[in-house]
Amino acid sequence: MAMDQQGLLARLIRELVRLPGIGQKTAQRLAFHILKTEQEEALRLADAIHAVKDGLTFCRQCRNIAEGDLCEFCLDPKRDSTKILVVEEPSTLYAIERSGGFRGLYHVLLGTLSPLDGVGPSDIRAQELADRLKAGGVQEVILATNPTIEGEATAIYLTRLIKPFGVKVSRIAYGIPVGMDIEYADEVTLIKSLEGRRDL
Amino acid sequence: MPLLKTPAITLKSRKWGEADRIVTFYTLRFGKLRGVARGARRIKSRFGSALEPFVQCDLNLFEKPNDTLHRVSQADIKETFPALREDLALMAGAARMANLVTAITPDADPAPKIFDTLVQGFRSLNEGHEPALTTLLFQIKLLGLTGFRPQTDHCAACGKDTQTLGAGSTGRFSALAGGLVCDPCVHRRSDRYLFLSPGSLAFLQQALRMTPEVLNRLKASGQVRSELELAIEAYVTCVAGKRLPPVDFLASC
Ligand SMILES: [Zn+2]
Ligand SMILES: [Zn+2]
Repeated sequence: MAMDQQGLLARLIRELVRLPGIGQKTAQRLAFHILKTEQEEALRLADAIHAVKDGLTFCRQCRNIAEGDLCEFCLDPKRDSTKILVVEEPSTLYAIERSGGFRGLYHVLLGTLSPLDGVGPSDIRAQELADRLKAGGVQEVILATNPTIEGEATAIYLTRLIKPFGVKVSRIAYGIPVGMDIEYADEVTLIKSLEGRRDL
Repeated sequence: MPLLKTPAITLKSRKWGEADRIVTFYTLRFGKLRGVARGARRIKSRFGSALEPFVQCDLNLFEKPNDTLHRVSQADIKETFPALREDLALMAGAARMANLVTAITPDADPAPKIFDTLVQGFRSLNEGHEPALTTLLFQIKLLGLTGFRPQTDHCAACGKDTQTLGAGSTGRFSALAGGLVCDPCVHRRSDRYLFLSPGSLAFLQQALRMTPEVLNRLKASGQVRSELELAIEAYVTCVAGKRLPPVDFLASC
């Protein structure tokens, strides 16, 4: 009986360790916390996980999180379908959406290329983007991958992939964060913000 | 908590928690180290791009007793290699260099020559030297500096100084044994052998002898190039204990 109980806790710890950013120690802490909490409260977490997996999928068109076949943006007729903004993850999409600065459609890659980890184009939703361009109607693709080595690799690859469709490709400018003194910017950031300057 | 100060190159960097990064460095003074950089992914992070892979920085780390994970307190950019961020072939070459250093160097074991070789490797790529050849030369050099020096003048299996491995003859290279293997050993062992022609052997020996600064003067093509690429790839897979992402990864994309 005692062995059995240990086995159940170990199973929970094993599942928690699989979550990103959770190590063995944190998983143990979380598992003991769950063990100690009220039945009802602990099961609310299990329910929420259930509801997400049952009720949410990825949008057939843009791979954003969706409750049905298509996400809220792909379903919205007021969005400008001639522009597609490409992001790595849904969380970036919602950050851009909160800014209110973009009214077009999105494409979520659900990953990035990584030369260091050997993650290639077939591991991200790049072909799905090409398929959307093939279908026509898109005039501009805006790449909003992160300014990391993975984000750079992804942007270079996507530019090559998109160019043959004769669609305008741009990359969001990056450089000096708003509210920061220019003198504190490092040299990579300064070079990038000079490259990304625009006419006034 | 003692403060460690050293020039360092970032080998890789992983997202960690909400906004942190865990960074693997090769440092000049302390060898390979790992550190956590708190808040590194925030826009107003004090680290800026100093902790991006393939960047050389002046690093300050707090050493935590009984922990191999240090805390990054400051990182200032010392040298960047901008071309490595703009070309997939160069990026893949740099990634192989960083991956091999990560895979085969022990933690906290200072080796300034390895640091110099890595900086030189990135410089060569950044200056536009052919990425596949530059990466091959780097790998030969690094193996030579890490106790995995490919054996070319003694049998890698029995240690005998064999005449059959002398100038002008074709050698049989065993990735498992870590170098050329003599005739009796070839018959005794069931390793897979790769042939190295006299030209390839001479090139390999020369590359092992040269300093990293002049390494990129060596040129190889045709048979020499393909024999050595195969042999070094097989050997690297053996010493790393796994297949590393290929050197031409993304180049064909
Ligand atoms: Zn959608
Ligand atoms: Zn022998």
